[in-house]
Amino acid sequence: MATPTALPPLPFNPSRARSYLLRLPLFTRLVLLAALVFWLLELQTVWSVVQWGALTPNEINLGTMYRLNTYPLIHVGFFHFILNVVALTPLLERFEAEHGTLTAVALFIGPLSTLPAGLYLLIEKGIFNRNASVVGASVWVFLLLASEAIRTFKSHPYFSLGSTKIPTWTSPLFVCAVVSALVPNTSFLGHMCAIAVGYLLGLGYLKVFVPPEKILRWIEGKLNLLGRLPHYVSVDQKTFGRYGVLPTSAPVGDRPHQSAVVPPRSVVHLQIINNINWVYFPDRHQHQCREVTDLMALKSAIRKLRSNPQFLYVRLPYLLSFLCIVAGVVWLALLPLDDYSRRTYISENALLPGQVHAYFSGSEQNVFRGYKKEIESLLPASYHEVQESGVRDAEFTPVVSDKIQSILRAAGLKVATQNYEYSSSGITHQGQNTYAIINAPRGDATEAIVLVAAWKTADGELNLNGVTLALTLARYFKRWSLWSKDIIFVFPPDSKSGTQAWIDAYHDMQPASIQPLPLKSGALQGGLVIEYPFDHRFESIHIVYDGVNGQLPNLDLFNTAVAIAGGQMGIGASLQEMWDHKNDYRARLETILRGMLKQGLGYATGAHSSFMPYHIDAITLQPKGEGWQDEMALGRTVESLCRSLNNLLEHLHQSFFFYLLMHTNRFVSIGTYLPSAMLVAGNFTIMAIALWMRTGYKSRAAVKSSDEQSSDGKPSGEKPSDEKSEVEQKSSQTETKDATGTTERQLALPLSLVVGLHLLGLIPLYTFNNLSYKYYTPATYAYILADILLPIFLSALLTSSSTNTTTNPHQHHLIKSFSLLPLGLFLSTLATLNFSLSFIIGLLCTPLTFIHRIPKTASIPAPLRYALALTGLVLLNLLSPPVVLLAACTYSGTSVETVLTQAAFGWDVWGMWTQVVVWCVWWPAWLSGGALLGCSFF
Amino acid sequence: MLARALFSLLAFVALAPFVFAASDYYENLLLQPLPQSALLASFTFRGNESQQSFDERHFRYFPRALGQILRHTNTKELHLRFTTGRWDAESWGSRPWNGSKEGGTGVELWAWIDAPSDQEAFAKWITLTQSLSGLFCASLNFVDSTRTTRPAALFDSTGDHPASSNLHLLHGTLPGEVVCTENLTPFVKLLPCKGKAGISSLMDGHKLFDASWQSMSVDVRPICTGPDECVVQIDQTVDIVLDIDRSKRPRDNPIPRPVPTEELVCDTSKPYHSEDACYPLESAAEKGWSLHEIFGRTVSGVCPLAENSDDNEPICLRVPHDRGVYVSPGATERKDETGFSRCFSLDPSQPFDLLVQEQDATVQVPLDEPVLRAERTIVGHGQERGGMRIIFDNPSDAHGVDFVYFETLPWFLRPYVHTLQATITGRDGIRHQVLASQIIRETFYRPAIDRERGTQLELAISVPAASTVTLTYDFEKAILRYTEYPPDANRGFNVAPAVIKLSQDPPVYIRTTSLLLPLPTPDFSMPYNVIILTSTVIALAFGSVFNLLVRRFVSADEAAALTSQTLKGRLLGKVVALKDRLGGKQSKTE
Repeated sequence: MATPTALPPLPFNPSRARSYLLRLPLFTRLVLLAALVFWLLELQTVWSVVQWGALTPNEINLGTMYRLNTYPLIHVGFFHFILNVVALTPLLERFEAEHGTLTAVALFIGPLSTLPAGLYLLIEKGIFNRNASVVGASVWVFLLLASEAIRTFKSHPYFSLGSTKIPTWTSPLFVCAVVSALVPNTSFLGHMCAIAVGYLLGLGYLKVFVPPEKILRWIEGKLNLLGRLPHYVSVDQKTFGRYGVLPTSAPVGDRPHQSAVVPPRSVVHLQIINNINWVYFPDRHQHQCREVTDLMALKSAIRKLRSNPQFLYVRLPYLLSFLCIVAGVVWLALLPLDDYSRRTYISENALLPGQVHAYFSGSEQNVFRGYKKEIESLLPASYHEVQESGVRDAEFTPVVSDKIQSILRAAGLKVATQNYEYSSSGITHQGQNTYAIINAPRGDATEAIVLVAAWKTADGELNLNGVTLALTLARYFKRWSLWSKDIIFVFPPDSKSGTQAWIDAYHDMQPASIQPLPLKSGALQGGLVIEYPFDHRFESIHIVYDGVNGQLPNLDLFNTAVAIAGGQMGIGASLQEMWDHKNDYRARLETILRGMLKQGLGYATGAHSSFMPYHIDAITLQPKGEGWQDEMALGRTVESLCRSLNNLLEHLHQSFFFYLLMHTNRFVSIGTYLPSAMLVAGNFTIMAIALWMRTGYKSRAAVKSSDEQSSDGKPSGEKPSDEKSEVEQKSSQTETKDATGTTERQLALPLSLVVGLHLLGLIPLYTFNNLSYKYYTPATYAYILADILLPIFLSALLTSSSTNTTTNPHQHHLIKSFSLLPLGLFLSTLATLNFSLSFIIGLLCTPLTFIHRIPKTASIPAPLRYALALTGLVLLNLLSPPVVLLAACTYSGTSVETVLTQAAFGWDVWGMWTQVVVWCVWWPAWLSGGALLGCSFF
Repeated sequence: MLARALFSLLAFVALAPFVFAASDYYENLLLQPLPQSALLASFTFRGNESQQSFDERHFRYFPRALGQILRHTNTKELHLRFTTGRWDAESWGSRPWNGSKEGGTGVELWAWIDAPSDQEAFAKWITLTQSLSGLFCASLNFVDSTRTTRPAALFDSTGDHPASSNLHLLHGTLPGEVVCTENLTPFVKLLPCKGKAGISSLMDGHKLFDASWQSMSVDVRPICTGPDECVVQIDQTVDIVLDIDRSKRPRDNPIPRPVPTEELVCDTSKPYHSEDACYPLESAAEKGWSLHEIFGRTVSGVCPLAENSDDNEPICLRVPHDRGVYVSPGATERKDETGFSRCFSLDPSQPFDLLVQEQDATVQVPLDEPVLRAERTIVGHGQERGGMRIIFDNPSDAHGVDFVYFETLPWFLRPYVHTLQATITGRDGIRHQVLASQIIRETFYRPAIDRERGTQLELAISVPAASTVTLTYDFEKAILRYTEYPPDANRGFNVAPAVIKLSQDPPVYIRTTSLLLPLPTPDFSMPYNVIILTSTVIALAFGSVFNLLVRRFVSADEAAALTSQTLKGRLLGKVVALKDRLGGKQSKTE
């Protein structure tokens, strides 16, 4: 591994924070540990720690007195925990350093927990007669803040704001007020109690609770606490504890352990502490020696870290990248927890879901049956014959279209048709959309709602009941005078292409093979798709909401549908084919993952999907299961939904457009889930930047050789021995950066290779979108073969083109850097648009961060190197795009041909972008990774 | 053609009185059932006032409130329109009054103002809109310079103006204005009988505004029969198309619940017809109705002022003569010779009701085919750009149509006129891209100035017979300043309907529907939240940091020394010293 010798210093000094953390005294550590343990315990679902240990006024009796002590250590949720810990640590550390560990233990386990608790109970239960339970270390935070405030008050009684003087002891009260105003669910009373006790402590009224020094000394001496416990603050130390840290420029005394190197400034503090201890406690020489040795080890570790470029620039990026990936995945896994997800709510008040009575019932059912019989009589004989077997199929013939038109005309609607024709991968999709418009009485044709009933559902089933229901609803809606928006009923022959042709033509964006619409209305405000492909009654409504390219409808629309179906109609709602959703962690995670898979693949999941690119929110309602809800119930749901949409004053904009649903009434929004994909994408960027920085410096071997060359060439210039020693010093000391360590990067080859590979991605993109469907399977196998051969071919080309062996490692680093950089860039940008696709591709690409050319070094013998490279290549090939496609097809049981035909259809008709990401982002990065691994052979 | 002849007959009937009487009042109601259970009701009220008495502010048949406004603003001719809904030309045929008595959706106003210069005319115009805004309870005061245009060829003055006057035509529209009862009440108040008697007693806001289409108009113009024999005429019309089914619903139970199963009209010939399956049969019979059912009240006699007019038949009905019609006692019916129209003269003292029987239609009142169909839509999507598409369809196989197309666009919609393209589609459905100049004979274009005036585009177009012309142009949406967005919830910005004037005699006017232009709208609550939060954080952070930076921390004993060095301290010291000296150092202060 090439190691640079001279590297720029780190922009911040991590040793300070580290030394502070390592210096934390014992009791503080214990408290933090306890809080952490309790928080971790809370993660499991069997036993609720909060219920066990919270300070709940009604739960307090003799047996549950432990609550008076446990409540400060328990937190609800990660943020509560981390905020309190961050606030508490410095305060508690200072207190313990001032008063000693034993006193701190005595006070915090005793009066400083129980007194505020008692006060709180007295007021909450005794005066207000309420029962709000409190937990969290904030009680200690405010208590300590108050006592500090009293101390400040003694030295600086006032601070002036303009001309008014404000006593400094009031500052905790301000903090308390601000916290209760800004942070939800904080107990103002609890904090006030803590502040009150804190004032008492600061004023010295609680001194009675402090054990006498004599006893403490006795305990300490008897048990030899100082010798046994690390980080223990002794009774004697306490007076110095606080002020020991303050001086920053004290002279460094003669010290036996002092190394030749001047230590970094932060280390000086530690030395001062040691000095002081040394001076004051000569009798504990033994112990002090041990402590000093510990500190020295720490110091040397920090120094080693800072002066070890091998670690900083070679190991650390791998570590960071790995951590990013793990954190990204863990983050996603945390989302289903209650703390990270939210309950859904209706954000747009105008929607008023379920506030109106739906009247669609009674004799409308007779009309429904009449329409259904009428259309059924037009279906071909084959439909009636195979009715018994359950497979029912019939084309949307012109006869059916004419009948639908005549029914709509008779109901008084304006009717029109549109012919369309698409061709994709050698298959022609053609048909005729029939649609009709109810003009809003007194409306001005500026807004409209769309109701779609496709002849074939998204799964290809005959949607006879859905179409009939739409016809009946059209006749029923026409009677109402309350519509503020036009209502358009669309009857496309299928769910895949029909609505796309219609909506394209509605916005006049259609290709030439599609007829323009003869009849139009205003801006579309929302869309509903009705599917009812069976004859029996149903149990619940399945709501499909994914759009093309992972676009989603406004969450308000989904929430309205759930609220109306569940709240008003008493029909259950489900999503993502989770028929049996127990609303536990597992079911939630599964729902999220199913949603992410659909979003990531970006295909149209129903007739509603085509509306999304035009910023029209639409969902599909699918009745599912066997129950007692009939088509009228579905009709009433649609009616109520239309009434809600009719109420809209503005286009749906209030609620979220980026969300992951895990249950019909639980979701996570983009702010919560985005870091997951961003972390995964960030791992590539981190590695790319680290590699870029590495390539700016000569490797150790290269520096040496160049030095020798220069000293040979210029014997009179500098003294070669000095230079050599300097080079050696660089390995231990980085502060003195030397210009001789930097080198010029040779960008031509890596840049052209990476750009070329990205351009090469256009070839499979073109092939897979333009071939006839018959050739898709062979083409996939051809690309698998190409993926095996191309990396080896590329690596051979690379090795032969660059004869200069010294620049080779750098060139390889640059290639990797340049291929990872756009990958990280694309994926992080994509994460904001299509989170799931970015996350999936990011996970599939993770090996690319870690693979590299196995260097020719003495430590790895050639056969082992070849074996490693071969294994790596085989494993990498398992993660190539075509193999992943093949594996996914085998797993899901669909044929490659179907999937690729669907994908090409998506590209040609829906404007789907998934292929571009696969072939122009993933594949080039994969190829360059493979090529680098292949270089190990040569 | 018959219907148009009838409309012109109606116009003639309407125009006739002023020829005979210089100062009188006339009112008429025309009822005509339209296909799809619609009913057109056309109210006309006309009052004449001689120019002399108008100048002397002696108002008899002319509303004083309006007269004063017109005099104050030097308005010689005024046309005001309130319209809602869409006229369904496909089902209902050509428009009443040839479209000359209707406006685009919302409120439309145009007037000829006598003023020496453009600026003064505009000042008068603003005064006029402000006054009318108060008079009609409409937001006419929002007709500012950005919504005001001066059409070049669209409107011709219908009044007789002296040649010496220097008239300026100004035109303004409010497409987003919702017309409702608050506009009807002042409208009715302008009538001499004020809705108490005569046909205006039928005008109930609840029923009127349940109409599918509705247009109210006020026209004021001077008409001269000879030199110095001029009258100022006010012409008020209300045209509504009511849905008979909807209007007949009782007021206490207006919900169109599903009818009981036994009342369902089914096609019993269907083989599957049974107790629970019904293919609904839309009855072919003409619906029966009465005035009381439709308007919720009856006509309370005759407006006494109109009694003197020569044509004393205030209510006319256009149904075939064989249709059974019953009227209240005291009224007399007169059928005209065309076979489709009858008029009624009323007993002044008795309420009048009219009942038309439900009857199978044998003869239909012929409807007039519209001469031109026009449709205007916004195409494209996105927040930045869009396109306008206007389709003119000439249904006639024989004659070409010449017309003036007029549109005003708000300034934040910036059209690219160079992208104006024309396509002709014949009956065969084949599209031909043609040069725009082949279709457009003349162009008047006045580009917009940001925040000052809108775009005005007037095109003289001729559409050949049996063809459809499609005009398209692209536009860009401007980004508004945040104060320019309306403060309340809004669905987008309204673009005024285009007006088409067919060059016929009398001219036919057609208006397209208004358009909704969604502009990039920020979520206003979001910047508000951000501003509040950042201000709070900055105030907290800045306050404490500034305090620390500016404050000097000194110990108490240093403080005394420091204060003594300042000017104030030294002065104070001097003062104390002086005091001491004056006081004679009676006591030494410590």
